[in-house]
Amino acid sequence: MPRRYCQDSPDAIASCVLEDMVLLYHRPSGQTHMVISPVPEILATLEEGAALTAGEVHVELTRLYDPGPAEEAVPQVEAHLAELTTLGLVRIA
Amino acid sequence: MKHALSLKIGPASFRIGSAWRQPVEALARLYADYPTPVDEVADFTVRLEPAGLFRRWFRPSIYITGDHGLADAAPMSLAHGLLAAEMGMNLQMALGWRRHLLLHASSVEKDGRALVMTGESGSGKSTLAAQLGERGWRLMGDEFALLDLATGAVFPFPRLVSLKNGAIDVLAAEASPARMGPLLAGTAKGDIRHLIPRSEAVGRMGEGALPALLLFPRFGHEADIRTVGQGEVFMRLTQASTNYVALGEPGFAALTPFVKNVPARAIDFPSGDDAVALVERLWEELA
Repeated sequence: MPRRYCQDSPDAIASCVLEDMVLLYHRPSGQTHMVISPVPEILATLEEGAALTAGEVHVELTRLYDPGPAEEAVPQVEAHLAELTTLGLVRIA
Repeated sequence: MKHALSLKIGPASFRIGSAWRQPVEALARLYADYPTPVDEVADFTVRLEPAGLFRRWFRPSIYITGDHGLADAAPMSLAHGLLAAEMGMNLQMALGWRRHLLLHASSVEKDGRALVMTGESGSGKSTLAAQLGERGWRLMGDEFALLDLATGAVFPFPRLVSLKNGAIDVLAAEASPARMGPLLAGTAKGDIRHLIPRSEAVGRMGEGALPALLLFPRFGHEADIRTVGQGEVFMRLTQASTNYVALGEPGFAALTPFVKNVPARAIDFPSGDDAVALVERLWEELA
């Protein structure tokens, strides 16, 4: 079974878009993360309580962007989700 | 303690105690025109204590402590007692202040708007602020800029300006001798002399201003101006803040509008006069 990922909690993150990156303030840990594309876009697919697999996140991304063919993009999305899980911004559902 | 003095600098009040008379006398002279807190519990206490059992008399050596202290702070000679007191006050602010986002930055004000300058020690931010303070700007502080968490205004912390090495003669040529402190030779940072800010800086020390320009000065290089991306500005300001992490989300909420709205430039300059001209030009163009 592929892993499903969700945001830490609905109001866990305050974000601020700068010219060249996005700042994410993680309320539970008090840490500020500086991220660039495609991390903000991946996190956006997990809003409103969504719990998605890396493949489903990729499908959501294709609605708005061109993340490339699934066989290459899905492992990259999975790697980003694993990193975000380590940071505490995302949890395994 | 045997000798003591109360001081108010910007929004912060201090009670400074010393085992020796000299540092308190020097402070009393240089801070004579600052308001004295009345019936007020000081925000911070600073204590200048003998570094060891006999060190009050025998090769007198000062250990700086207070509400907040550093365990491994090196003792200082009594000849540098004034510097020890100043460092003690800075230490309390850096480690204990929570009412504003504290930026290790100098700031000056003109027409109700503030110029904030930050950089590493030796970058020239302090000297530049002092020079501007003598040339029509209001000096808000040479060490700490206090960013209000609710309004985003910068508030002053106009302590004595700490002039180091080459900056001493530059400012001594502009300011009256009565505003200069004693020469403290051979400190860990070289020669130091303190400068009393002009009376306007002291009289208006409760008055904030919205930030209109952020500069990252660098002394001793060919004149150059470089734009700085918002990501780099954010990173450098969090590095320059001693309490960004401690403040939590209010710190994030105060700093991000500053980063997004205040134009920022890195400036290199070979001399103080070049820097003043550069700053005046950028202020006209950007602020």
